[in-house]
Amino acid sequence: MVERVSPLGEAFRPGTYGNLAEGPGVTLTEATPAAIAEASAFPGSTEPLLAAIETVTGLSLPATPGAGAVGDGAAVFAIGPGRYLVSGAEGLSASLQAAVALDIGTVTDLSHGRAALRIAGPRAEWVLAKLFALDFSPAAFPVGEGRATAHHDVFAHIQRTGGDQFDIYVFRSFARAFWQELCAAAEETGYEVG
Amino acid sequence: MSARRIPTGGLIDRSRTVPFTFDGKAYTGFAGDTLAAALLANGITLIGRSFKYHRPRGVFTAGVDEPNALVTVFKDGVREPNIPATQIELYEGLVAESQNRFPSLDYDISALNQLAGPLFGAGFYYKTFMGPVVGPLKGTRFWMFCEHFIRRAAGLGRAGYDKDPARYERMNAFCDVLVVGAGPAGLMAAEAAAKAGKRVILAEQEPRAGGAANWSGETIGGKPAALWAEAAAERLAAMDNVRLLTRTAVWGYYDGNNLAALERVGDHLAAAPKGAPRHRHWSIRAEKVVLATGSFERPIVFPGNDRPGVMLAGAAERYANQFGVLPGEKIAIFTNNDGAYRAAAALKKAGGAVVAILDVRPEISAAARALAEEAGVVPLLGHAVAGTAGKRLAKVLIQRFDAATGRLSGDVRPVEADCLAVSGGWSPAIHLASQAGRNPAWDDRLNAFLPPQPTQEWTGAGAFTGAMSTAEALSSGRDAGLIAAGKKASRAKLPEVAAPPLEAGPAPVFEIKAEGKAFVDLQNDVTADDVRLAHREGFVSVEHLKRYTTLGMATDQGKTSNVPGLAIMAGARGLAIPEVGTTRFRPPFSPVSIGSLAAEKHGHFKPDRLTPMHDWHVERGARMMEVGLWHRPMVYGEAGETVEQTYIREAATVRASVGIVDVSTLGKIAVKGPDAAEFLDRVYTNMFSTLAVGKARYGLMLREDGIALDDGTTWRLGEHDFLMTTTTANAGKVMQHLEYYLDVVWPDLKVHLASVTDQWAGAAVAGPNARKVLEACVTETAVDNEALPFMGIVHGGIAGAPVMICRLSFSGELAYEVYCGAGHGTHVWEALMEAGEAFGITPYGMEALGTLRIEKGHVTGAEIDGRTTARDLYLDWMLSKKKPFIGSALMDREGLIDTNRIRLVGVVSLDGRPLGGGAHIVEKGSLEELGESIGHITAFCYSPALSKYIGLALVKGGKARHGTRAFVSDALRKRFGPVEIVSHHFFDPEGSRMHG
Repeated sequence: MVERVSPLGEAFRPGTYGNLAEGPGVTLTEATPAAIAEASAFPGSTEPLLAAIETVTGLSLPATPGAGAVGDGAAVFAIGPGRYLVSGAEGLSASLQAAVALDIGTVTDLSHGRAALRIAGPRAEWVLAKLFALDFSPAAFPVGEGRATAHHDVFAHIQRTGGDQFDIYVFRSFARAFWQELCAAAEETGYEVG
Repeated sequence: MSARRIPTGGLIDRSRTVPFTFDGKAYTGFAGDTLAAALLANGITLIGRSFKYHRPRGVFTAGVDEPNALVTVFKDGVREPNIPATQIELYEGLVAESQNRFPSLDYDISALNQLAGPLFGAGFYYKTFMGPVVGPLKGTRFWMFCEHFIRRAAGLGRAGYDKDPARYERMNAFCDVLVVGAGPAGLMAAEAAAKAGKRVILAEQEPRAGGAANWSGETIGGKPAALWAEAAAERLAAMDNVRLLTRTAVWGYYDGNNLAALERVGDHLAAAPKGAPRHRHWSIRAEKVVLATGSFERPIVFPGNDRPGVMLAGAAERYANQFGVLPGEKIAIFTNNDGAYRAAAALKKAGGAVVAILDVRPEISAAARALAEEAGVVPLLGHAVAGTAGKRLAKVLIQRFDAATGRLSGDVRPVEADCLAVSGGWSPAIHLASQAGRNPAWDDRLNAFLPPQPTQEWTGAGAFTGAMSTAEALSSGRDAGLIAAGKKASRAKLPEVAAPPLEAGPAPVFEIKAEGKAFVDLQNDVTADDVRLAHREGFVSVEHLKRYTTLGMATDQGKTSNVPGLAIMAGARGLAIPEVGTTRFRPPFSPVSIGSLAAEKHGHFKPDRLTPMHDWHVERGARMMEVGLWHRPMVYGEAGETVEQTYIREAATVRASVGIVDVSTLGKIAVKGPDAAEFLDRVYTNMFSTLAVGKARYGLMLREDGIALDDGTTWRLGEHDFLMTTTTANAGKVMQHLEYYLDVVWPDLKVHLASVTDQWAGAAVAGPNARKVLEACVTETAVDNEALPFMGIVHGGIAGAPVMICRLSFSGELAYEVYCGAGHGTHVWEALMEAGEAFGITPYGMEALGTLRIEKGHVTGAEIDGRTTARDLYLDWMLSKKKPFIGSALMDREGLIDTNRIRLVGVVSLDGRPLGGGAHIVEKGSLEELGESIGHITAFCYSPALSKYIGLALVKGGKARHGTRAFVSDALRKRFGPVEIVSHHFFDPEGSRMHG
């Protein structure tokens, strides 16, 4: 198996940076899962699509905007009406493809097309609020939920994967530029890359 | 000495001495001082020169409304002009300079302007510099000639040219309740809402919460008001659901209860902490807003009211109480209301001598009389200031005054004074409310505008509503907070306020008419006579008045001048003030740094978009170029090569053997679903439902109006699974176009689109040896002509990575596009390079790619330019007659089938010199006499295959001109020369090479 090369290249430099007066406020890592797929339902077929996603990933979620779920080795969240970003282990796209009937919806493999950047730590909400016009507070953005948004020219699909942890899925070609943007935004709070 | 520091008192930290310089001289102040306070403490009362007349000016206010004391601050090698000294917190090493003076603040040569007094009235420049009716300087040209010199003489500080090294950031915030202003009302509102469990943001423009409590001298709950406020702010700061933002001015109220604020994070620090911004732009989305923005004191307009030493009474009180600074030794008070009496008592208590209280009113309240007694002076009722004297204030000229008639009478008596504290009443700070409300309402009691009816989700509290006492601030603040939190107003006991029971309403006296310049707008040097002049000349609307006289413009936005200006205009027109109207306030409330608006986009306007093989190209020494957001190799130059030599070598290698180019940037859209083929038939001009699985087809899309939109190949990977490619530049546009049709026009079609541009790395291997290269490295599939015919697709592997190969050609050679997962891109690319080594494979860049396609006459965005049709590009063979498609209804319009439209041709340079993109094609003419254009060049190159400079062009008549001669005419680049118009298929028109 050929290794998938990270788009971050030399921009990924482990270490601590920025203002460390109060310790690094966030930790930045690349968290691209082995497989990423977009599963989309045709109008009226969201429920059966979610059932198919549950069959494959074991994760169940309601058909409401922004819904999502995080489990062991898999995660899923809504990125539009009837559209879901699913991440998981190798072979995910094929399993989903097999589970989603032709008239229910479609599955597109994006394992190479998206990169997931993870920000975690007590200042994660603060740093992300610099870049996105979203309410990152736990009440407005609970664990598991997802948001589809953009930072200027960079589309971003964001899932809260922990109390103070977010995974940001960006187009692979933008990953390095966005990573650098994220690092710059985290200088104020200090950050650790690892 | 006039102004000085008093030995005790104030909210300053006397244990921390802070050195600073002003106009090159070293001084010290205390932590907690503003620059204005520190200058006054050092006895400096002359701080700047005025805008137009270069009159000496001092400190007029103590806050954001300051019109006079503007200085330039030097920090980190950058000069920032026009900052009010009242808004600069002292920090160690602060360097500030006065402005608009030459050679020095004390002796300013341009002060001669004021001798020409009446000449420089409103509209003077426009009238005087109107040019003659004829001649070279006719009309406004004379003005434009003079303007440069005039601008130099007038104006404020000078901006710098250096790059600003400071960092600026943006912050998006959400809350249930935003409270603007942390005076007593705002503090109460924030606490009430927070205790009700709401997420609260409390924004205060000053460095400390408390507002007027910091200088009122009152007590709240038995404590000095300032300490009560401090404790309230501390309680709020400790609450998890409250964000207390000091040094944060809310400056704009936008739709959807979205408010803009500027936090001055680092201006008060000698050095910013690592990574901290200087300013932070806050975009606050609030469910509810409580406006507790307080009120502004107004001046009274009288001759000589701009002399250094004249200031607002509330400001004088604030300097004494908050900063421990006496603004003068001999202080006179001039007022039309009770408020100034509190200032008189405070100044006396601080150690100043109150030499006179002049009140225009015939009667005053008992409370005011008691305060006058505290100040040790008997107020002169029915008196007014008729003038002042001294470069710095030395004398106040007083006279009897009848408030009913507005007339002065009796003898003019001089009173020695070095400070004149003036109060003309108070105006609620309704700026934000005006941005989110209807027209403000005039109040006859306060002689001021009250907040309008809201058009957004806000309520008001405190002095902002016209409730001027601290007790009212506490109760209205708490109620506003509770109501914003969805609760009912409370009747619970409030902290006791000990304050003199002063009457808030002033006598309606705005101006004392006497001999001499009486300023309405100190910042713009607009006098009361200017306002009357504007009236005489017909500029009677407040909007015209503002533009004609500049009243209310510039950094202070007329915070001290709006109501007096309006009152004087009303007087001139014989109308009541509300009949004259008011200017509505626009954002920003106070100055906003452009840097904070640019925030993280400063110096970096777009993200870099990189292909999977980017690092390989850079290591290989490729010269990169930006194509939209993408970075693509332009040429892979070798030592000593020019760009032209490099692309010629690269293109020639492709024609002779084999080359490889990164095509990962092509737009790629997955088109999937049971109706995918039907959808493609509708969006492309040609058929796709007939395409076999495992085959690709070249397709053309039109816009609805019949103009060409984009072209590219679409591959049928499965019965219901297509991979569409678009040009790099149009990927986003095509995606939007397709999504629109699926969402809006044909929602019944079961088709999904997904951008997979970034999923695939693409490498085009082109040249007569391309197949041999693939044969050397591709596994799991054959690639011979039978297994992989022209436009065929196979799946296989290269060096262990799965690949998908489509045989198609942009270069006109035998060529293949090899697609693999983007994360495997460099791995597969390197394997292809290695396999090609035996054939001398060369990577080639955009220049060679362009050269090869020009030689073949293939079109790109340069020809599909939003104006050309399929026929113009000789692509009409792609317009299916068997089905309708987007654009088919309008593509045959008269104008689009005109035979004289500009159409695609080739051009060959006949003088052996390069052509230029955008150059015109003409039938005759010269560089000097430009001929009539019959078209233009869209792309050009040196063709190694033809050994000539060639180009593609859009020329009237197109094919009909093949074989004729014309000229290239490029006045911009000074290029004129003969060309031959030929077929755009320069090279291998039969296509034998790519089909071989």
